[in-house]
Amino acid sequence: MTRDDIKANILKIFETEFEIIDPGVDDNLTEEHDFDSIDALELLGEIEKMLGSELTRQEKKDSMEIRTINQICDYVVSLAQKRSLM
Amino acid sequence: MERRVVITAASAITPIGHGKDALVDSLINGKSGVQKIKKDDLLTDRVESQVFGTVSYPIEFDFKRKYRKTMGPVAYYACQVVKEVLEAAGLKKDFISSGRLGVAFGSTHGSPTVQRQIYEHFFSGSDERFSAIGAVDYLKSMVHTTAVNITKMFEITGRVISSSTACTTSSQSIGFGYEAVKYGLQDAMVCGGADEYDTTTVAVFDNLLACSTEYNETPHLTPRPFDTRRDGLVVGEGAGAVLLEEYASAKKRGAHILGEVVGFWCGNNGGDLILPNMNGIKATIVQGLQNAGLTPEDINFVSAHATATKMGDVAEAMAIGSVYGKGPLVTGLKSYMGHTMGSCGVIETIITLYMMAQGFVAPTLNLDEIDPRCSMIRHNQKLRETPIDIASIQNFAFGGVNTSLFLKKV
Repeated sequence: MTRDDIKANILKIFETEFEIIDPGVDDNLTEEHDFDSIDALELLGEIEKMLGSELTRQEKKDSMEIRTINQICDYVVSLAQKRSLM
Repeated sequence: MERRVVITAASAITPIGHGKDALVDSLINGKSGVQKIKKDDLLTDRVESQVFGTVSYPIEFDFKRKYRKTMGPVAYYACQVVKEVLEAAGLKKDFISSGRLGVAFGSTHGSPTVQRQIYEHFFSGSDERFSAIGAVDYLKSMVHTTAVNITKMFEITGRVISSSTACTTSSQSIGFGYEAVKYGLQDAMVCGGADEYDTTTVAVFDNLLACSTEYNETPHLTPRPFDTRRDGLVVGEGAGAVLLEEYASAKKRGAHILGEVVGFWCGNNGGDLILPNMNGIKATIVQGLQNAGLTPEDINFVSAHATATKMGDVAEAMAIGSVYGKGPLVTGLKSYMGHTMGSCGVIETIITLYMMAQGFVAPTLNLDEIDPRCSMIRHNQKLRETPIDIASIQNFAFGGVNTSLFLKKV
């Protein structure tokens, strides 16, 4: 799993699950794409599926300040590294 | 402060049609919306009742994902009828979000379809239990999902009442909405109820031997309220919404007034949670009349709850007979579409408003031979062109909850 794989997966999730197509990687998702707290929680579920394991409570809390696709990718990379997937 | 309360818009999705024209056509032509139950892989092979009041026509839901994401099927129904009501009423956006418009809307138990998906995943043996419940599953399935999806979609900021009392859900919604406007707590309330296609409800009533089973091959012949050959209720689906407004402001803005709500009562049998109770029903009718400032002689149409169960219809007929005698015409509107559960009260209210507007009273469908034990009231067995000036809509629910609502032509 590479960062590019993760980015491609995240963009695919945004298109299929959130109907947000090809957002800028540094767009503020809340302000520019109506991505809200419910979407954020759904995204965590999708990330769990991508990684094949449950996120800890702390890991979920760590995601709360994320606003952009780039930040999401960084977050997933760190989770994947902790799980020895990268 | 007591204010007059009027209904200025209405919309319903029912097994016999969506919107006024379709509903009136079905009533006038005696069309039934009861069909063979749709097979599922969970319950339909295990229940004896194989009929269901079904919404079988397509509905064009045009909701953005930001709204869809928290909606189960029941909320789709609810938001659609409320959308149509708000469009018909022509309320301004600043009023809708002023805090002076509230919502009273409910369902029997949220979205059983979503609940079923959750439990299927839990008990599937899958290792992926971490993803069994999506972030929005609770919002889709919770008991007040209809009310809050409505507030979200239309940015309504007034009070929220979300009754969930099975068959009296939406009659309570209208009644509590009426009280909120009457006493000046809100200037308008959008009220109603919805229930989606759900076979677990069939199983519940089937186990209680309350469902119709003898007409599985001829669904249109059941339910048969007050008929000697009735054999139980038919579960159905649907939704309805009405807009209640304070009379003076409705007149001032030139709203079309469909009818006035002049009284409401809600009581409980105070005992058995299942068995119908003639005294409890009678007390609710009598208290409703007092609340409305009416006498029994003022009422010329009663929309009976009339589920077509053996005991329930007798208890209701006796209660109606003891208050009204053979005065008002009585129709059991569930004969057309089955028991739409949380939405039956508002659907029956809307149909009564349509009949009031067009000057006719639909007959009880399938009432071929009146059960002698139900014969003490004035059953309507044929389509009649006759004015309705003041009508009563009565509903009763598991748990011993009873409601009576009184509507007047304006």
